[in-house]
Amino acid sequence: MATTAPVEIGHPELDEHTATDRPWIVVVWNDPVNLMVYVVWVLQKLFGYSREKATRLMYQVHYEGKAVVSDGSREQCEADVARLHAHGLWATMEQPA
Amino acid sequence: MPDGGVDLLLDPVEVGFLQTLPEQLRACYEAPTDDPARARLFPRAYLDPTEETAEREWQALVQPGLLRDRLDALAALQAHLAAATPKGRRRRVTLRAPDVALWAAVLNDVRLAFGTRLGVEDDTDFSRIGPDDPHAAEKAAYVWCSALQGALVEAMLHGLPD
Repeated sequence: MATTAPVEIGHPELDEHTATDRPWIVVVWNDPVNLMVYVVWVLQKLFGYSREKATRLMYQVHYEGKAVVSDGSREQCEADVARLHAHGLWATMEQPA
Repeated sequence: MPDGGVDLLLDPVEVGFLQTLPEQLRACYEAPTDDPARARLFPRAYLDPTEETAEREWQALVQPGLLRDRLDALAALQAHLAAATPKGRRRRVTLRAPDVALWAAVLNDVRLAFGTRLGVEDDTDFSRIGPDDPHAAEKAAYVWCSALQGALVEAMLHGLPD
């Protein structure tokens, strides 16, 4: 199935990016279009979260403007952001200080 | 349907509207990168503006695949509509479980594109559209796509664990 298949990520400059092991986080931002039930469904499907956890994250996005939905290495987070974008969610990644 | 699929019963006018969506979305996907709707569909990954090198690498690696998958989804939706069968004066479109997810994603893209162009905000209410509204057609399409996408997502949520 096209739009929901995981996107494979290669990384040509791995050495450059492993200078630090500090984890990255993936943030989903509130937007006025995405349906609440759709955000819950995407989070359950992509990350295997329970209905309760996915719903809690969705409400955090809606009421607080954003929520951290996953974390990991730079490469893992780049892949997660791509999967979220494939589903139309507004996601970015960052490395907390 | 027990396998997670869905049977849609659509009026001919609704089928006709859905058939217009692939062309509209393709135009949006191929719009200049500074087009607001296109930018919303293909957002950047890195929040930090000092990560421009990583951002460019990520876009070069990932965005062609994201575009190809979206174009494949449009082709699949067109095929599903072409395979619709008569059901009284309506048309029946049979979707398997993966097709339901694909339709939900296409409808989401339509809503993101139309919603961006219409300036939708959290408190936007299109439930009353004036007869002289120059954007009446897009607003009505947005509302209708929202209802259909919501119904498809509810059906898919029933298939996931609590």
